[in-house]
Amino acid sequence: MISIFGNSLIILILLSTLSIIYFSFNSITSLGINISKKIYHLSLLQVTFVVTCLLTLIVGFIISDFSLTTVFENSHTQKPLIYKIAGTWGNHEGSLLLWITLMVFFNFLFLVYGKKYEKKFMLFSLISQNFLILSFILFLFFTSNPFLLINPAPIEGLGLNPILQDPALAIHPPLLYIGFVGSSIYFSSAIGALISNLPAKEFAASIKNWVIFTWFFQTLGIFAGSVWAYYELGWGGFWFWDPVENASLLPWFCMTALMHSIIVLEKKGQLYSWVLILCLMTFVLTIAGTFLVRSGILNSVHTFANDPTRGLYILIILLLACLVSFFIFIKHSRGNSIQGYNLDRGTFILSNNWFMIFYLVTVFLGTVYPIFTEVIFNTKISVGPPFYNTVIIPFVIVFLILMSLGPESKWIKTKFPIRKLLTILILSFVLNLIISVIFKSTSLISNLIFITSFFLIIMSFLDVIKLIQLNKITLISRSVSHLGFGLLILFIGLNHNFSKEYDVNIKTGEIKKLNNFDLKFKDLKLTNSQNYKSIIGNFELKDNDKNFIKELKPEIRIYQNPETLTYEASIKSTIFNDYYLTMSNLQNSEYYNVKVQVKPFMSWLWLSVLIMSLGGFLRLFYKR
Amino acid sequence: MKKIIFYLLILNLLSLNSVMSQNFSQLEIKIFKNIRCLVCQGQSIADSNSDFAQTIKSVVSDKISQGKNEKEIYNFLSSKYGDWIVYKPSLNIPNLMLWVIPYLFVIFGVMFFLKNLRKKRQNK
Repeated sequence: MISIFGNSLIILILLSTLSIIYFSFNSITSLGINISKKIYHLSLLQVTFVVTCLLTLIVGFIISDFSLTTVFENSHTQKPLIYKIAGTWGNHEGSLLLWITLMVFFNFLFLVYGKKYEKKFMLFSLISQNFLILSFILFLFFTSNPFLLINPAPIEGLGLNPILQDPALAIHPPLLYIGFVGSSIYFSSAIGALISNLPAKEFAASIKNWVIFTWFFQTLGIFAGSVWAYYELGWGGFWFWDPVENASLLPWFCMTALMHSIIVLEKKGQLYSWVLILCLMTFVLTIAGTFLVRSGILNSVHTFANDPTRGLYILIILLLACLVSFFIFIKHSRGNSIQGYNLDRGTFILSNNWFMIFYLVTVFLGTVYPIFTEVIFNTKISVGPPFYNTVIIPFVIVFLILMSLGPESKWIKTKFPIRKLLTILILSFVLNLIISVIFKSTSLISNLIFITSFFLIIMSFLDVIKLIQLNKITLISRSVSHLGFGLLILFIGLNHNFSKEYDVNIKTGEIKKLNNFDLKFKDLKLTNSQNYKSIIGNFELKDNDKNFIKELKPEIRIYQNPETLTYEASIKSTIFNDYYLTMSNLQNSEYYNVKVQVKPFMSWLWLSVLIMSLGGFLRLFYKR
Repeated sequence: MKKIIFYLLILNLLSLNSVMSQNFSQLEIKIFKNIRCLVCQGQSIADSNSDFAQTIKSVVSDKISQGKNEKEIYNFLSSKYGDWIVYKPSLNIPNLMLWVIPYLFVIFGVMFFLKNLRKKRQNK
């Protein structure tokens, strides 16, 4: 029943998409300045179909209709309701449907908010967007149909991977997808602008808010994924340079570069070609990331499905998107080279773009290089955190300095307030010294990171204060984002350098001494929950210097469906530190392996990401 | 003003000294973080409690007490388990492009910038 309904909805979406393309082509040559009502109505229909389709699948998950293969493979009757719903996008088929839903939704919003722009531009953008929708619908229908039937229907499902049953992960895909899929809008706009010869400033105005909007959600999506990794994986880290994480970071670099260069385009009408390239590249990288993650070509923590035919299909979409956009770009772009420049604001913005592309190239290279060596040299290599840290960190220092100076520059004739800058530099040195005194050892490179991030923090903070005093709250967004970024780098640096880690084997009743801590294993408890059993350890961590006791209760969970063991960390956050404890059983022994980590400034680190994204959010309300 | 900065610079550099005396356990952790746990998914042996990770950890500790340096340990492990086990790819012919391209990108960026700056000066 659900299957037939769902499948017919997919057909309806397909038909409405085709008719939008048809009518758009038709009305390009027609007279009149407005887009015909027919297209609006079709687009509204398309949204209705796709939303109903997604809801149908969600209903399938809620009522546990195991006649659907997707539900059978990824759900279970014993699962809490929220994870039944979130399970809809916790698998390949469902997440692809969510992807298409958002793509159609963005298409509709673009149409509604784009009334004031040139008709030809709007129509070509629509055509491009609907071709993208079409290719993804065909992909869904032929290789990953979520409404496939099993006959006879099983009584019970296989269940959702327990590590995905987590609140942060329930919201992580939708947030990230808004960013990912939203970038299709400026991909299509770029195609539309190229074909219809849209003037530079008009193009900037039409895509600006979409860029900010997607950047905001992409940032939050990456944030939610990171929080999930921290809480759920139980390794104490929050970023692993895993291929999947990199796949979400690559479009983010592009979006960040766009957010900056679009200012130049809007103000001066310069860099048009470059902005167009960035627009096209963001979505192409999104598809490339999807390909890497879903084809199973790379080994990763959270690879979905390892189905070569799916990989092949995405590769075809990717190649088509690349070729078509490349062809259109070459055919229609009017060369406008970057003119010579002085140390004005445009230069600083351009340097931001340069750094973003540098990070992008490095991360992209690191992600795909193992494929390359395997094919050419037949050796399998790993490119992990030490590679990225070595290559990227030294350049972060220069980046931070430019990022602090940039906002001080003007569009024409910049004169830096040298005295102010030197004073702030001295202050940063002093603050760095204080850190060295409190925490003792650090390396040269960390010192430079601390100094430069303090420099950026103070500069941006003064900017925020100044703007509030001048009552120009609407202009605050840049300074807030820069402030957030400075804080983020500072806290990552502190956290990276001064985390402590102890590893002990301990049995109940024992007390172990770990430097200035006493770890006491009080007892073990067994409990039963809705869909798992758990062994809960009861630990007491006593800090002998500061004289406090923290109670920590890590868990080992035994899920029945599917049968898995998961290790739940117990985390106690204080203002300055996170106390992070994980426990795992050792075979044939009454001892447990316990890892105690003291991680400074974790909450501050999360907060700085939120401050950074808040800056982007504020800019949506920027009125000229 | 410049003097103050100079002295502060010296002071900041002095605070570095403690890094030089890296003790064993820190070296061990650094090596552990650079070795992939082959039986896990995307974890280093520092993050894992699997039997494999425990074994490799004790191998590394033994090698260190035998006086082997970091590089020798990685070479030993790569020869046994393949390059896949080390997270930081070594600089050799197959990995050349991986290490070179980012820096080439930097050099070209700086050259491009300087060239344009000079052009602008000449135009004035």
